[in-house]
Amino acid sequence: MVQMILSDTAAPNAVVRLRFFKRGSLAYIAHLDLVRTVTKVLVRAGIPVRYSEGFNPHPKIAFATAMSIGLESDCEFLDVRMAKTVDVEALRLAFNQNLTPEMQAVEAYLPETKFTDIAYSSYRITLVTQGADEALAAKCRDALAERPLTVFKRSKSGDKDTDISASVKACAVRYENGAIVIDATLTADNAGFLNPEYLVTHLKARCGVLSGDPMKERYTLLRTGLYRADMTPFR
Amino acid sequence: MNHELLSGILKTVTKPGRYTGGEFGEIQKDKSDVRVRFAFCFPDTYEIGMSNLGVRILYEALNRVPTVWCERVYAPWMDMDEKMREYGIPLTAHESGDPIAAFDIVAFTLQYELCYTTALHMLKIAGIPLFSRDRTDEHPIILGGGPCAYNPEPVADFFDLFSIGEGEEALPELCALYERMKADGSYTREAFLREASHIEGFYVPSLYEVTYKADGTIERYTPRYPDVPARVRKRIVGNLDEAPYPEKLVMPFIETVHDRIVLEVNRGCIRGCRFCQAGMVYRPIREKSPEKLCQLAKCLYENTGYEEISLISLSISDYSEIRKLTDALLTWTDDAHVSLSLPSLRIDSFSEELMQKVSSVRTGGITFAPEAGTQRLRDVINKNVTEEDLLRAVGIAFKNGKNNVKLYFMNGLPTETMEDVEGIAELASHVITQFYRTPERNKMRPVSVTVSVSCFVPKPFTPFQWEAQDPIEVLKEKQEHLRSILAERKKIRYNWHDAEVSHVEAVLARGDRRLCAALALAVEEDMMFDAWDEGFSYERWCSVFERAGIDPAFYANRAFGLDEWLPWDVIDIGVSKSFLLREHERAYAEKTTPACSEHCSGCGANQLGGKTRWCK
Ligand code: SF4
Repeated sequence: MVQMILSDTAAPNAVVRLRFFKRGSLAYIAHLDLVRTVTKVLVRAGIPVRYSEGFNPHPKIAFATAMSIGLESDCEFLDVRMAKTVDVEALRLAFNQNLTPEMQAVEAYLPETKFTDIAYSSYRITLVTQGADEALAAKCRDALAERPLTVFKRSKSGDKDTDISASVKACAVRYENGAIVIDATLTADNAGFLNPEYLVTHLKARCGVLSGDPMKERYTLLRTGLYRADMTPFR
Repeated sequence: MNHELLSGILKTVTKPGRYTGGEFGEIQKDKSDVRVRFAFCFPDTYEIGMSNLGVRILYEALNRVPTVWCERVYAPWMDMDEKMREYGIPLTAHESGDPIAAFDIVAFTLQYELCYTTALHMLKIAGIPLFSRDRTDEHPIILGGGPCAYNPEPVADFFDLFSIGEGEEALPELCALYERMKADGSYTREAFLREASHIEGFYVPSLYEVTYKADGTIERYTPRYPDVPARVRKRIVGNLDEAPYPEKLVMPFIETVHDRIVLEVNRGCIRGCRFCQAGMVYRPIREKSPEKLCQLAKCLYENTGYEEISLISLSISDYSEIRKLTDALLTWTDDAHVSLSLPSLRIDSFSEELMQKVSSVRTGGITFAPEAGTQRLRDVINKNVTEEDLLRAVGIAFKNGKNNVKLYFMNGLPTETMEDVEGIAELASHVITQFYRTPERNKMRPVSVTVSVSCFVPKPFTPFQWEAQDPIEVLKEKQEHLRSILAERKKIRYNWHDAEVSHVEAVLARGDRRLCAALALAVEEDMMFDAWDEGFSYERWCSVFERAGIDPAFYANRAFGLDEWLPWDVIDIGVSKSFLLREHERAYAEKTTPACSEHCSGCGANQLGGKTRWCK
């Protein structure tokens, strides 16, 4: 097999991929706001982005996934098409300097894969809820192991009860440091993307988690990785 | 705001990105270096407040002082407000997340009268006593400013002091006084406010005694001490090129109302429309040089990444170097994919050249403001445009492919008759005719004219400050009359402002201190966001006025006597009362007054000094 040699410079018209995390307050912005933010970051950073032709030119950038409000992520990808030759590492540093510590690119490279290769996403769901203990963790484990796993789901074809079990590839529940921690791997391809929020909704209904004082209870959703169909990490 | 702790709540409210802070460009300081914690409150939503140029400028001016930390505070929207009160979460500042009740100075910019309830509600949820008299040395100093501070009387009992005029230099001076008095141990609220009254541009309402006549009008304002000025003169910055202006901005993660670079090209307006408060209170007219503006534009573009630059001014086409400025900007903006936009243009300056140069004119809607339907009434208000000007301007727009034009008018202007109201319909129809007379018109799409009519609100410091507002029924009658005429004209769309909202606005605009009683009741009832349909309730306003013993008609629908002591006479904006009286007289004589660029009318603003172009 021929090994591709990674170059640290991108030629004009090449695509550079940035892997970045977004945490904290960035969880509360919608996908379109993220797109808008990144567009400005690229300008501030002086990165020579290709623009589309036409009446209303826009920068040629693409995100691997659309992020929903409330989701933090350690594994996001952004592709940027270049108008000029750039040093990939310098690009990454300039990108980071023009963002807050809550969102930073951890690597930049010339990609060999397509976003359509993404099949799964792993999440860490942390529930800081009243009555969290081993027993509640077991209850949550059972609730997520129900087949069918029926949730009230919103979709283009209308809101209805839907069995989401086919979208849950793996799910592990444990009790840790006063919280219920769930590591779940869910489908994330275009057709079958499942928002991890549904698991929380299901546990609220089944196990009564997060039903108390919102000043004491909270939960976080963190994307920990993206995978291809064979479960190798997407890059 | 501490989003970790509040995540249980943030996930349940609309647009949580409003509350989290942490934006790129926000200013963080080491608390141990800071002597004055300054909370700059905008009494409306984050999206509106983040767009405000005044906040951007003063955030910069105050944070330039190393010992002052100015932070931003916005009003939580109703759903968040409810949660905060339910769980006892106090109002906090964006940068530090600290409750503002513990700050040194809490300032509110009062941009429109209808934000008063929101501002006072913010004090309430911050846990700060509402009335100035109930606050102690342990509480922050509450400062008001912005355009509404030119008549601060309706909220005088709640604020410790007001900044009158432009704050770039005045606010750092106030902070310096605070810092000095805290350091040398001489600080008490009372001593500080007394000292502050000696700084030009600061008005301390509690230092004046107000007496009233039997008929309810004001007898006089008397300073309580000999060292307190009888009138407070507004501050201006003399040279706009040298005044602080941000070269970086706090970059909102969520979309805001004016999410772009804003370049202030000048302050003031040479025109002098007689209903317009901004046109009077921002005098004398001062301009920024095109060189300075170009440098700022480049800097801001590089530091923000915004791809839109908006030139702002009360009357952009009157900027004497407009061509030089746009030409210089266009040398790089097109290549950088940056678009230029202008606020609505004066009818008589609308040109083909501008249409081609400025993308907002090229691609956006076209809006003109004739304000009145007949030449007679346009002369009364000193709107120096003719029907011919308007038809020429729309002709250019139609020729260049436009099919929609929006026209702004006002109902209830002094001396308005039904004939003037009908004139609005006539003028709009002539615009339609002009479309068909334009051979190069775009024949692919139908023509449409939107007629948008607001209600005249008499404002302090205008030649119409003494005028009575039409009663609500009269305004509604005029609106209905126009609606019935326009109903038959299919190509004209008509919308109008709520007369009740304008009525309340008039009461608050021309109110005196006795209105504070009504506002206190409004706060008790959790009235807020009156500039929003979701917030405004005419019934509740009527109820608080009634319970406070206020007759709203006394303020809104009464013609104030020309020799009457006006609530805002304690403020001196530079423009003299004799000039306003002269203009009032000329209005009734249907005589226009030339623009400052043609002839200086000696309004009095020149006594404030400053680098001006036309003042004699
Ligand atoms: S002093 Fe004269 S030129 Fe200056 S603002 Fe007044 S009227 Fe205009």
